[in-house]
Amino acid sequence: MQPFDYVRATSVADAVRAFGAAGPDTRLLAGGTTLYDLMKLGVETPAHVIDVNGLRELETIDTSQPDELVFGALARMSDVAADPVIAGEYPALAESLWRAASQQLRNMASVGGNLLQRTRCAYFRGGEPFACNKRAPGSGCAAQEGIDRGHALFGGSEACIAVYPGDWAVALAAFEAQVDVEGPHGPRSLAIEALHVEPGRTPDVETTLAPGEIIVRIRVPKTPLGRASTYHKIRDRESYAFALVSVAAALRMEGDMVAEARLALGGVATRPWRVRAAEAVLRGQPFTPALARRAGEAALSGARPGRMNAFKVELGIRAVADALSIARQRG
Amino acid sequence: MSSSATLRTGGHPPTPGRVAVELVVNGVPLAASLDPRRSLLDLLREQLGLTGAKKGCDHGQCGACTVHVDGRRVASCLTPAVQAHGRQVLTIEGLSPAGSPLHPMQQAFIDHDALQCGYCTPGQIMAAVACVAEGHATSPEQIREYMSGNLCRCGAYVGIVAAIEDAAMKMAATTMATAGRSAEMPEARHAAV
Amino acid sequence: MNMMPFADLARVDAHDKVRGAVAFAADDARPNLAYGAFAVATIGKGRLASLDVAAAEAADGVRLVLTHANIGAVASAGFIMGGGYGFQSHQPLISPEIAYRGEPIALVVADSLEAATHAAALVRATYETAPFAVELDAPGVEVVDQAETPLAHFIPPVAAGDADAAYARAPVQIDARFASAPQHQNPIELIACVAEWQAGRLVIHEGTQNAEAVRHGLAAALGLDAGLIDVVSPFVGGGFGQKNSLQGHTVLAAEAARRLARPVKIVVPRAQLYHLASFRPANRHHVRLGADRSGRMLAAIHEAQAQTSRHDLFPGEYATTSARLYGIADFRGKDELLRTDAQTPGYMRAPFEHIACFAFESCVDELAYALGIDPVALRLANDTTVDAVTGRPLSSRHVGQCLERGAAMFGWERRSMAPGSMRAEDGGLIGWGVAIGTYAGLRAPAIAKLKLTDDGRVEIRVGVHEMGQGVRTALAAVLARKLGIAPEHIVAIIGDTRAAPQHLTAGSWGTATAIPVVEAAADALLARLAELAPGGVSNREPAQILRAAGLPELAVEVQGKAPGQPDAIYDRLKAGLPSIGGPVYPEFVTYSYIAHFVEVRVEATTRRVRVPRVVSVADCGRVVSPRTAASQVRGGVVWGIGAALREASEVDPRYGGFLNADLAEYALPVNADIGAIEVAFVDEPDTRFNSAGVKGLGEVSMAGVAAAIANAIHHATGKRLRELPIRIEDVL
Repeated sequence: MQPFDYVRATSVADAVRAFGAAGPDTRLLAGGTTLYDLMKLGVETPAHVIDVNGLRELETIDTSQPDELVFGALARMSDVAADPVIAGEYPALAESLWRAASQQLRNMASVGGNLLQRTRCAYFRGGEPFACNKRAPGSGCAAQEGIDRGHALFGGSEACIAVYPGDWAVALAAFEAQVDVEGPHGPRSLAIEALHVEPGRTPDVETTLAPGEIIVRIRVPKTPLGRASTYHKIRDRESYAFALVSVAAALRMEGDMVAEARLALGGVATRPWRVRAAEAVLRGQPFTPALARRAGEAALSGARPGRMNAFKVELGIRAVADALSIARQRG
Repeated sequence: MSSSATLRTGGHPPTPGRVAVELVVNGVPLAASLDPRRSLLDLLREQLGLTGAKKGCDHGQCGACTVHVDGRRVASCLTPAVQAHGRQVLTIEGLSPAGSPLHPMQQAFIDHDALQCGYCTPGQIMAAVACVAEGHATSPEQIREYMSGNLCRCGAYVGIVAAIEDAAMKMAATTMATAGRSAEMPEARHAAV
Repeated sequence: MNMMPFADLARVDAHDKVRGAVAFAADDARPNLAYGAFAVATIGKGRLASLDVAAAEAADGVRLVLTHANIGAVASAGFIMGGGYGFQSHQPLISPEIAYRGEPIALVVADSLEAATHAAALVRATYETAPFAVELDAPGVEVVDQAETPLAHFIPPVAAGDADAAYARAPVQIDARFASAPQHQNPIELIACVAEWQAGRLVIHEGTQNAEAVRHGLAAALGLDAGLIDVVSPFVGGGFGQKNSLQGHTVLAAEAARRLARPVKIVVPRAQLYHLASFRPANRHHVRLGADRSGRMLAAIHEAQAQTSRHDLFPGEYATTSARLYGIADFRGKDELLRTDAQTPGYMRAPFEHIACFAFESCVDELAYALGIDPVALRLANDTTVDAVTGRPLSSRHVGQCLERGAAMFGWERRSMAPGSMRAEDGGLIGWGVAIGTYAGLRAPAIAKLKLTDDGRVEIRVGVHEMGQGVRTALAAVLARKLGIAPEHIVAIIGDTRAAPQHLTAGSWGTATAIPVVEAAADALLARLAELAPGGVSNREPAQILRAAGLPELAVEVQGKAPGQPDAIYDRLKAGLPSIGGPVYPEFVTYSYIAHFVEVRVEATTRRVRVPRVVSVADCGRVVSPRTAASQVRGGVVWGIGAALREASEVDPRYGGFLNADLAEYALPVNADIGAIEVAFVDEPDTRFNSAGVKGLGEVSMAGVAAAIANAIHHATGKRLRELPIRIEDVL
């Protein structure tokens, strides 16, 4: 690991000031489960690291507000997953957290930092000699003609087909969460869907955060869609693995009719992948297994598989249908 | 909690600096000046001689390095040691210090032969103790899920689940008997490392 | 022989293990250690054109950078299957040649791990590249017929009767092809070594299954007298074949420690050990099985191809295993080796037996379905008491009992034969599958030194390594019973070249190697005690007799070897060379057996395959340590589940080496993958094989699991899946 300069921030203002002043080769250290991991691999090589774990004011979990759930960026994944309101009223949010990683890592990882988790693409993480435009812009993309079983069906470009690996952001996308940031130019708020960007020609740029900006809060509008929801995650093993396909599904039923639906996919796209066309298939229709399947087909339509991941299209369709059935049983 | 280090904004590349850290390990307060690259695992193993926590992957993928920080299980290999500043760390060596009786979880691991080579075992036990404390040991299915962050290549999973089920009952009894003891502060004695 | 079952003794080292008090090699944390880290080659094959270590040497805390340019007179210790001591003959860093991606090109040694790791990343290399082949069908792969190599001397090809003619005549024919991806052993203990020089002696602390080969290999590599080298490996954090011989890093650690006059510790990062140690080679099989309409198996042909390296021939023993599953009179086997540009592959739990049983037992299941015969009944009908390959009697074979007891425990009679005929309440498919496994009964020579002291302590020194299989517990169990003392008074000094010659512990021969000799030593000790106590020894503890005779201690030394081995075998043992006898002995042939019954549930929609329940019944001869033996079997079943449904080392032919070189992308089974595993033993001693009646267990535990799973998946879905691992896309 390259030597770096380490400081502990004592307040959000302190962190913003330090982050803004320190320049582009600076990283914020929250849970460390992505950053420190990638530093050990030599993929991240910051010269400056600002530890924000002391910012206790960012650890809040507040479910008592009338209109929204508020999560401080440094609330830990395990704590949010275990919150009784979240677990009971928003099972998709809770499941997206406890089905990620292991309890050890969830005790460490923050819900703000988790949004910025970087891809698991082996060509990205493996360093030399693999071509990777995300890690080494201009070097190419080894995954395109390589082992792409875990790579994206959606949102890829010639420069990059690496999957966004997170679960939580996928569930947040289904619930139209807002992300509050603080930066050198003051606070701002953006929709979760406006946080991540597709790789395009610049796969090294993964978010719309400006230099020096810090995620401080995640807000989820309270919604009757919460209860009839699930985060359904299909993996190569039963636990402690990244998704082959995952589905955040939420329904608001009126009798047997779907009044409103939310669907987002994980494990198959370069960013959290909300599928509004599939939601439209469901809206106003009586819920049946056949309808759930049609929603799955709509969700996976337009997929662009590579050499080894075509199976994820059918798997995704079935996972969507199953997720909708689980959500339906909860509403 | 504040840092005596100051942020240097220029002077890239930086020279490796040391960071002052105070932490409590197994009840013993320690003060150290650390390379910020050092993991908590390497601090425990290479500097403090507490080699119970093991390195199996160094990337949070196996669980062999599991210790408790402020009562919660973490992967010490993915925890920069400087991040443990101001924290209480408990390792397998502190779970039942030499000469004291075994923790019920340790005894249950023996009774159910929940180990073979023993390499992943300290991490399994630290994770298991936390698993029970979290309330995640109420059924075999739940134990399997919440213990899946600890790989056992020898394949002792059946015994591990049985041991945790067994120990969970005994720990519930013990917790009631000794409630409050864990709140005692350790003797304020500093050891430089 | 005392025929009472052995007591359910707790694992004797468990108390230390649950306290984290057992010292593995990397647990050496003394001051003044220097830390080593490797820079590795990034090309698939070729030669170093330049190597710039200036930045590494200038980095803070760096004490030494070893490369081919300054390594001096270090040699290869040779390949263990070619008369040498290493897992491969290719010793990295002794030449600018690069045989495969991932091999070390520099060792950086520094005052701290962080400094060494950082400096290793500063090493810069340029290369002259050469074409390379890493996949079995790639251009440039050389196919070698094993029968035409020196390997044929110790692994003769199977040729019984006229298999081709008999197969051609068989009224029922099964013809199928199978394949398995390469896999890595991945014990959770990383490969680790501390090398130090103490007054001219080299001491190596390393988790190894073969301390004697490490010792003699170092002597060969460094030009030292083996008498000046000690190798200490009291506990291994899982071996599984990965640690069965000298690995290149140990040589380099020893050389670095010599130059620095300081102990050097190397812990190989997980990503690097995918290339610094061996692996299970990619392999594929063509099996033909002929039978009559009653289900009698008449003939079989098993042709196997497996990967090896350019520089070594790693022998395949696939057909020799499948030929032993049943009494098939006409059997022909063929093993071909495919030379690729990788490190030499090697042994990984049930190295050939796992996959041979997968292939052959899948065919047997196909035969059962072709004939409409129950798969258990078909297997029972083809049982034998004679080894069909040699015509010699089997020293013991209770696989029929394994099948019958397993079927009863599992509830097999409730199975309906038709694929897809059993459903779960949630709509999922239920599949029940069965398969048997076998593994050769092997034995190596051993020397046991047993000492009783007047304080009641018993010390046993013998050649065997504890890697979790429970041999310390087995030693304690037999000594406690023989000598009538408590297990806690027994101290075993094993895995230590200072204690006794340490033969490779692998191939499930550890128990059959050490236990009979240790029992004989106990008998010798008792005989000496009887001489000391003319009034009789009854009701007196050994130490009492010793004290009454006025002796501070009493020591005996006993040696033992496999039937038919010459006395010269002890010289090979002491030279650190493999000295294995069996499974074909002068008077008989010995194998262990197991029957596995597996239930799979295949999810109706996304088709996730789960294994909620396994029943395994083993014939491993006498069970001297019931608790650790049961754990061995459960572990073997978990390995079978991993190999069948999870594990594959991915190869990108453009880059060489292995791609998914970590524990996140190489999917080992996790706790949530494993359901109930019920284990039973026949527990019949095989006293023709050895006086203790023990046969091997650790390897046979895994053999057949993958076949039982694949057969269960067929029963659930109607799909025959013949490539491992079986993944969701194969069942979808």
